Amino acid sequence: MFKKITAVILSVAMGAALLTGCGKGGAYPSDDIEVIVPKGAGGGTDTSTRGLLTYMEKNFEGAKFNVTNNPDGGGITGMVQTAEADADGYTLGAVTVELDMFCFQDKTDLTYESFDAIAMPIGAPAALIVQADAPYNSVDEFVAYCQENPDTVQVGNSGAGAIWDIATYLMEQEYGVTVSHIPYPNGTADIAAAITGGHIDATLADPSSFMTQIEAGTLKCLGVMSAERMTLLPDVPTFAEEGHDLVVRAWAALVAPKGLDEASLQVLRDAAKAALESDECKEYFLSQGIEPLDYIGDEAYQVMADDYAMYKEVFETIDFAE
Amino acid sequence: MLNNIVSAISSAASPITLLLLVVGTGAGILIGAMPGLSVNMGIALLYPLTFAFDGVQGIIMLLGVYCGAIYGGSISAILLNTPGTPASAATTLDGYPMANKMGQPGRALGLSTMASMFGGLFSAICLMVFAPQLAKVALTFSKAEYFALALFGISIITSVSSGSVIKGLMGGALGLFIGTIGIDAMTGKMRFTFGSTYLIGGISFIPILIGVFAFSQVLASIESCFDEKFEKKDVKISRVLPTLDDIKRVAATLLRSSVIGTFIGCIPGTGGDISSFICYDQAKKWSRHKENFGNGEPEGIVAPESGNNAVSGGAMIPMLTLGIPGDGATAILLGALMVQGIAPGPLLFTNQPVQVYTIFLGLLLANIVMGCFGFSLIRVFSKVVNVPKEILIPIIFIMTFVGTYSYNHSMTDVYVMVFFGFLGYFMNKTQFSMSAIILGIILGGTAEQNFSGALMMSKGSFSIFFTRPICLVFLLISVLSLMSPLYGQAVKRIWKNRKKSS
Repeated sequence: MFKKITAVILSVAMGAALLTGCGKGGAYPSDDIEVIVPKGAGGGTDTSTRGLLTYMEKNFEGAKFNVTNNPDGGGITGMVQTAEADADGYTLGAVTVELDMFCFQDKTDLTYESFDAIAMPIGAPAALIVQADAPYNSVDEFVAYCQENPDTVQVGNSGAGAIWDIATYLMEQEYGVTVSHIPYPNGTADIAAAITGGHIDATLADPSSFMTQIEAGTLKCLGVMSAERMTLLPDVPTFAEEGHDLVVRAWAALVAPKGLDEASLQVLRDAAKAALESDECKEYFLSQGIEPLDYIGDEAYQVMADDYAMYKEVFETIDFAE
Repeated sequence: MLNNIVSAISSAASPITLLLLVVGTGAGILIGAMPGLSVNMGIALLYPLTFAFDGVQGIIMLLGVYCGAIYGGSISAILLNTPGTPASAATTLDGYPMANKMGQPGRALGLSTMASMFGGLFSAICLMVFAPQLAKVALTFSKAEYFALALFGISIITSVSSGSVIKGLMGGALGLFIGTIGIDAMTGKMRFTFGSTYLIGGISFIPILIGVFAFSQVLASIESCFDEKFEKKDVKISRVLPTLDDIKRVAATLLRSSVIGTFIGCIPGTGGDISSFICYDQAKKWSRHKENFGNGEPEGIVAPESGNNAVSGGAMIPMLTLGIPGDGATAILLGALMVQGIAPGPLLFTNQPVQVYTIFLGLLLANIVMGCFGFSLIRVFSKVVNVPKEILIPIIFIMTFVGTYSYNHSMTDVYVMVFFGFLGYFMNKTQFSMSAIILGIILGGTAEQNFSGALMMSKGSFSIFFTRPICLVFLLISVLSLMSPLYGQAVKRIWKNRKKSS
């Protein structure tokens, strides 16, 4: 009896496996889609990608997204995996702003040109965050303090040569000051702990990890390196308002390996557009402390290309200290 | 206050919440028991489900997954000598000998279940009572303290390498070397990558863990099959709860490990893997049965298991009180809380007390459900010991490949796993300690990054390590711990003489 039941279950399972194997012939997408996130679970890239996919899935029938995180090599490994995957639409990936930097740091030959952009749901600016009881209340006062105490103010970043470190270099260059760069390679949560604990003086980083402390009044934000003020921090001026044109944004985009047919790409872009324009999705992003963007297709690709040009210049002009 | 607690109880004890808790904990135990599936992965998998439920119900399910997965890792560690998660690597040291050499899988599982439950409950109570104070202590940890803590962890190599100390140190050095491969996160420079994309990220830890523990075990078992006739072990499990004698023997260890685990948990960036090894080491140092460690000592099972589950409550402390996650799992929990409109941080306790108490209760309940699952399934799990090797070995063999591949969907990981499996096999033959290698890999990176980071903060002055009290204490303990094989015998002799003369 038991054997019979097992045999029935096994044959049904095998039949089902065969059917899903055949499924790929139909209209796209007819099977589950793997999405490689090149960052760890729980971070901004992961949260926004998973958020986008959850709301995209609602517009799909019969297909699910399976997310795998591969944070190895600061994200290089995962992005290379996506680029090298078959362009059949069943492997997609997230890419991050680091894609536009790694190629200038001799880490990989991969550039944004290996991908087709689907959507860009997030582009978090660098925000200058300090302790609430610090003696400076604006970017200019902070800069003046740095000038009085050259090379002593400790500014946290998420790893040498990574985006927040570059933001710090750009600020040093723009204002003509020098600060001490302290890397926290495990990410912004560690910076938040260090700055709340009073071990470092400031950080230039994505403000979302610091929002709870800012709201509680233990930290304050002096300025953001974005084109416009943030909805999350409406009272904080941009660097541009103060006359310094610094825009540094940590974006993440959902992409497909180059060569996916136009029709499938359109299906994905339409689903992403519907998702990102829905109120539910926007609310979800805001609840995570993330300002949602709704750049679709070419718009997203343009950001990837613009930042590539910007970092090309950055790496040619700034001499990163050893 | 009382009102808040009453409304918290009514929301935590609703039938749907309890059902979700049971589902979450059960799923967590299975995920934890499968090598290659990690705690974080389990929580990330079930995370989207929480959107479907109101308020904290979904969060409580995730708490169940969290606690269950940490516990589940010990089941495969004890029965198969293969830690299901890195946090259970230390449990193999005494758990496997008790279940197999001594033929007492029921006793080993009973002890580990009791220890996990106790550690979890203890840390949940600490979370309720001491959260704000402990969070303050955790915030005093800067790079110098992290370095000292990691160094202390590494110094434990002398204690976990049961055979030769020299071989333990050699294994530890190999582990430290493996940890240096990849991008140096502090400078962004490549080390030992030889142009390979795979090596840029360093060698993944999970394939190594599965290789040196599970794959090498398979090879050793195949070898022993040739000259050994399979004998059915006489496994009679008359009781699943630990005996009173066992409880008396491990009571002190249980409490000590729970305290250590809770404390380590509340320091952001540290977790169950380091906690379980430190607890094992401390249990051995304080034990009256030192010689028995490595041969199935009850304290050697209880220490790492209460230590790693106590991390759960500890890691929630900085997450809830500061909005800073203590590890990867709590980072995802933080996101799940924020979706439900619960904003962890300094204001949470005054603004949303009901939700806070519900989470506390949820954590307590999760640990109780986990214990019930554990105790009721011991009889089933224990049967694994009596599965003939010709059936069990091929199953584990396949599991090593499936587990490794599912971790990152990378074939290179599988090759790495096989390589380390063979390496582990030969190292086992020559009495090298696997735990020493694992400790080196887990902690080498943390120690190095924080060492150079601390020097960056002090502008190259070594005084930073000696002027900070917490850091200095940890450094002194590390030196004492590392040197213990040198003076341990002498101290013992003096102690004995004094006892005789008195």
